[in-house]
Amino acid sequence: MRVVIGEDEALLRQGLALVLEQGGFDVVAAVPDAVQLLEAVDRHNPDLVVTDIRMPPTLTDEGLVAALRIRSAHPDTAVVVLSQYVQRRYAVELLTDRPAKVGYLLKQRISDVDTFCADLRRVAAGGTALDPDVVGVMVKRARLADGDVARLTPRQQEVMALMAEGRSNGWIASRLVVTEKAVVQHASRIYDALGLPVDADDHRRVLAVIRYLAQ
Amino acid sequence: MVDVWGEETTLPLRAPGGQYHGHMVTPGVARSSQPRSLDRALILLAISAVFLGAIQLILALPGSGAYWWVHVLFTVAFWVYVAAGMIAWWRRPSNRMGALIVLGGFAVFAGSLANTGVPVFTAFGTMTATLVLAVAIHLLHAFPSGRLRGPASRATVAAGYVVALVLQAPLYLFNAAAPAPLFIADRPDLMAVGSEVQRYTGLIVAIATVVILARRLIRADSAHRRVLGPLFAYGMLAVLLIPTSATVFQLMLGMSPGARAGLQAVFLAGIPIAFALGVLRGGFARTGELQELGAWLGASGGARPELTTALAQALGDDSIEIAFWIPEHEDWADAAGLPTKLLVANGERASVDVRVGSQLVGAIVYDAALIEDPELVRTAGRVVAIAMERERLTAELLASQDALLASRARLVAAADRERRRIAQNLHDGLQVQLVLLALEAQQVANASSSSVTTREQATALRKGIDEAAAELRRLVHDVMPSTLIERGLSAATEDLVDRMPVPTSLHLGITDGALPESIESTAYFVVAEGLANALKHSKAESFSVRLERDGDQLLVEVNDDGIGGASLAAGQGLRGLADRVDVIGGRLRVQSELGSGTRLRVELPCA
Repeated sequence: MRVVIGEDEALLRQGLALVLEQGGFDVVAAVPDAVQLLEAVDRHNPDLVVTDIRMPPTLTDEGLVAALRIRSAHPDTAVVVLSQYVQRRYAVELLTDRPAKVGYLLKQRISDVDTFCADLRRVAAGGTALDPDVVGVMVKRARLADGDVARLTPRQQEVMALMAEGRSNGWIASRLVVTEKAVVQHASRIYDALGLPVDADDHRRVLAVIRYLAQ
Repeated sequence: MVDVWGEETTLPLRAPGGQYHGHMVTPGVARSSQPRSLDRALILLAISAVFLGAIQLILALPGSGAYWWVHVLFTVAFWVYVAAGMIAWWRRPSNRMGALIVLGGFAVFAGSLANTGVPVFTAFGTMTATLVLAVAIHLLHAFPSGRLRGPASRATVAAGYVVALVLQAPLYLFNAAAPAPLFIADRPDLMAVGSEVQRYTGLIVAIATVVILARRLIRADSAHRRVLGPLFAYGMLAVLLIPTSATVFQLMLGMSPGARAGLQAVFLAGIPIAFALGVLRGGFARTGELQELGAWLGASGGARPELTTALAQALGDDSIEIAFWIPEHEDWADAAGLPTKLLVANGERASVDVRVGSQLVGAIVYDAALIEDPELVRTAGRVVAIAMERERLTAELLASQDALLASRARLVAAADRERRRIAQNLHDGLQVQLVLLALEAQQVANASSSSVTTREQATALRKGIDEAAAELRRLVHDVMPSTLIERGLSAATEDLVDRMPVPTSLHLGITDGALPESIESTAYFVVAEGLANALKHSKAESFSVRLERDGDQLLVEVNDDGIGGASLAAGQGLRGLADRVDVIGGRLRVQSELGSGTRLRVELPCA
């Protein structure tokens, strides 16, 4: 899997490249700013782009802007955006248009190498990866604003959060140490409670949850 | 003979005291500082005047015949002058009119010595026969302060003395009837010429005086005119009538020489009384208006016009200026605290210092042509000294306020810059390092060569580092939220609201990027601090935040439905916010009645 990295901190750029190489990714380019990132993506047409949000020259959100551009110019390229801080607005911007092949994670998640590489692969395969931190904010917000979410049991809320993170039923089952069937049951109760259409497709179900939380 | 100020005055004497010459030698005594020595001097003066008058009468009366009463009248005129002058002098020590009137008295005395029959006195009387007219001219010019103002006045008065003392000479030098020591040649022709010269120059002096006084009357305001008008009129009449009375009264009314002289004496005696009344009645020391100043002091706050205006009204001088003494700068400042100069270039402007105790607080600069008596200004200054001290402090404050405001703004800007710098440094440095450290720890854990224990320990270490990173993330966010830097106020506020543990509604009526950085960060910290405060103290069930652009103002509101009772005094946080808002010229209000929630409302200028 061919990857282009955008990260302005040299040490982190190298560390990230190393982690991805070790994880079996093929890092075709690692660049320090958004302009070079767009060029590299145009040149290499990679399967995956991993980029920091804040990059030179303005050190604001050019990584995010570049990510959105890549997503519209290269629909087949998966994009994972990393940041020191995550927030709902960026998640919504990344997911709203086309909630697939996209991820939004805290930079610190890199350190849990296995989980991180798994997240990247899932995104590259068409899934999503939302940082638990931002999902936590969204679920809490929904719980305060919305009686339906507030009525879910803590376990159901937990399952909903993990679904929003983009986890598969299997992953959730192993994480919560329950059977996959139990997870499916939780999920269907969540759909019922929130009035979401039941869908056999894993992705679309996740997206429904994310949309619900992002509104 | 008795016709003291007729053209053909005769009679001799030795030179006068010479102590006055256009300018008075004034005691310079202030009523308050040296009252006793002045009192003593005045008593001595009174005694000598009585004594001199008595001697004159003793000398003149025996040979006076039918006109003895004229001599008495002149001596009485002398006493009237001295008495009136002394009263004015005593009551207004700083005013020179009193001394000048006393001088007039001695001029009357000197002139009437011509009638004593003692040769040396007669000669002296002859020489000084018209001196009192010069003094009367002097009085007219010097009223009401006693000081001569302007070169025209000084020249006219000096000319008056020349006419009275120098041009008098031909009248006795060439007059066979003059006393022996004075008479040098019997030249009636020269005497006639000299007499004409004296008459016409005297007329010129009188006309110049009329012109100068008329101009003063025109320039004076109505209040001053009421005092100046009659006084000037009477003075001019006296000055013109006394020397011409010989001709006028004799020709027109057929008066006897005795009656003429008596009338002269009465006219003469009227002059000091009029001037002394003018000084004392104080058209110029109008205490009534000083009372107005007192009333002004009593008025409160907004009802009170400016000190300058009040002084201008009380003193009748619209050009009044006030300067405040700023000890730190050792310089004068105006009411706005800006450095100023005391413009006292010439006789037109003058100034008096105003002190509270011994402390110089300011100065009143006034028009010396309008206000002749500095004592009046000084008195006004004493009345308003305390108020002036207050104004001075205000001016001093204003002087430092601009600098203070600028420095506060710089401090806030510097603090913001520092926050940004710290957040950026942590972002680029420590946060990256923690990612790399955790990565390394995890790689140790994942290494195939590691033992199970090592793996567990390394994973625990990685998790510990991740927690530290989470802690740091919150810290960086509190210092300066990245969203504020990356996206601006509305995104940052949205994130703040997203993370509230209590239902919080958000109304955003602003466009990001349209506001200055300092306004955005101030507004952000207002919301953050307001919410944190509400969370801590209000026990509210819901909050609402409102950001709205209203013309050139940004309105920031943080409301809750809690217990209320918040105040700026209570919390360090709100106090700090108020300071911050104040620095950028905004307004912060807290409405927080017990039981009805708290409403924090901030208006920030963002033109």
